[in-house]
Amino acid sequence: MDISILIRAALAGAALLVAAAPANAESGRLLASQCAQCHGTNGAGPGFEQIAGKDIFNDLIDMKYRPIEGIMDRQARGYTDEQLRLISDYLSTLPGNGDN
Amino acid sequence: MNTLNRRQFLKLAAAISAMAAVPRAVGAATTAPRVVVVGGGFGGATLAKYVRMWGGNVQVTLVDANPNHVSCILSNLVVTGALPMSRITLGFDSLKANHGVTVMQGRAIAIDAPGNTLTVSTSSGNQVLPYDHLVLSPGIDFMPVAGSTWNPNLTPHAWQAGPQTTLLKNQLAAMSSYDTFVMTVPKAPYRCPPGPYERACVVADYLKRKGRTGAKVIVLDANAGITAEPEAFGHAFNVTHAGTIEYYPNATVQSVDASTRSIVTTAKTVNKAKVLNYIPNQRAGAITNGLPLDSAGFVPVNPLTYGIASYPNIHVIGDSCAVPSSDKKPVPKSGHMANSEAKICADAIIRSFNGEAPDADIATSSACFSPITNQTSSWLSTNFIYGDIFDASGNVKGKGMHRVDIGEAASDMVDGDSYQDMFIWADSMFADSYI
Repeated sequence: MDISILIRAALAGAALLVAAAPANAESGRLLASQCAQCHGTNGAGPGFEQIAGKDIFNDLIDMKYRPIEGIMDRQARGYTDEQLRLISDYLSTLPGNGDN
Repeated sequence: MNTLNRRQFLKLAAAISAMAAVPRAVGAATTAPRVVVVGGGFGGATLAKYVRMWGGNVQVTLVDANPNHVSCILSNLVVTGALPMSRITLGFDSLKANHGVTVMQGRAIAIDAPGNTLTVSTSSGNQVLPYDHLVLSPGIDFMPVAGSTWNPNLTPHAWQAGPQTTLLKNQLAAMSSYDTFVMTVPKAPYRCPPGPYERACVVADYLKRKGRTGAKVIVLDANAGITAEPEAFGHAFNVTHAGTIEYYPNATVQSVDASTRSIVTTAKTVNKAKVLNYIPNQRAGAITNGLPLDSAGFVPVNPLTYGIASYPNIHVIGDSCAVPSSDKKPVPKSGHMANSEAKICADAIIRSFNGEAPDADIATSSACFSPITNQTSSWLSTNFIYGDIFDASGNVKGKGMHRVDIGEAASDMVDGDSYQDMFIWADSMFADSYI
């Protein structure tokens, strides 16, 4: 096997068309997925407090800027205010676990 | 792979990677895009789930050597007998049933980068899996000290959960009064920064609760000091478990005699320990052999995609990757972080199938709870945002994941509430990754 064969093989592979129909990523979805480790996939639990299906922006801002009372006050400091807005807006569109 | 080994293949791949990595176009076509994932830990499982959840018709195959994953998270409580092994054993059935992930039990043995295939050794022979994107999440491998005969059956590390966890549990249970439990803390970077200190605490707590009078836990730390939660663990060592735990920093392992459970370090020598929990230094999992590694033995990645510079459609997530970060503010190797990275990698792969650039407005995080006794726990939290990263003098040195926050539980937060929160966190992590 020589390199030229490999190059031809690679070009052939690159030329193959493959079907993809993934949904366009919604704004805030990727950032909000970082909440799921503790609040469940799509904020629907199992986990800590329910975060989907409501506007939690003011809560997040409170936690970010108040003295540290617990682990969420630290986590809220891990995002810009704009990111917290995106996260909150996205989570508010999700159904959660219906326990609002 | 008859004529070239993996390393040679990868070298050839570098020469043509630009062509091999042309993004797969969207459009009229015959096959769905294929993602192959190696390793069913928190990184690999999360990657498989989220690519299926977000990626439309993308086909995902998860390869793991075992029929299920045994979590390192909570495993120290299996060592002490507080939890059964079943509590930390995570199956792949929900990934199949709920998300349509194909699971192949076998050991990934070779990457043909130019051919875009992975060879997997299975009970029914070698299988060759074609991929459009390959994601490696193989966890860690060990680098035992040179010149010693390493035998983890005699000196269990229990740093990959499963049979090793049971072995250490049984050795601990067999300890008597005045026996010595010796453990090492590997040189950073290693898997789960607080983990060794947590283990020392729960082992000491166990020995005291079980009435092993005079039994000791000797902690031999290769680092200059406690690498995670110094306040909580410092208090635990000096107050909560004072008289039971002896802590020695700067203890570089020089030799280990597995048969006599003896260890020589630069700070302390212990002969004939009752239990020698030797946790060696660590590097990226073996399937990364042949890929570019940093000086510590991990694979540098692009933090927007977790792709490798030479092979943009090969990604490394979790413990095996090295994420560019500000000096003295490293991205920790943890199950939580692997889950976090997996989502960014999944999103980037899906975007590439759509011909889109990766999202740069990204953040990663890690949080964990560490039991100090059988009723109390500490916690640790850290967060990273993509952007400028800085050297030790504060000068911008490039782009990467900059640590914007880190903190541990204050002393009044190391309590029973945190101990209960630990299980909420773990169950949520387990579900987000595997269900």
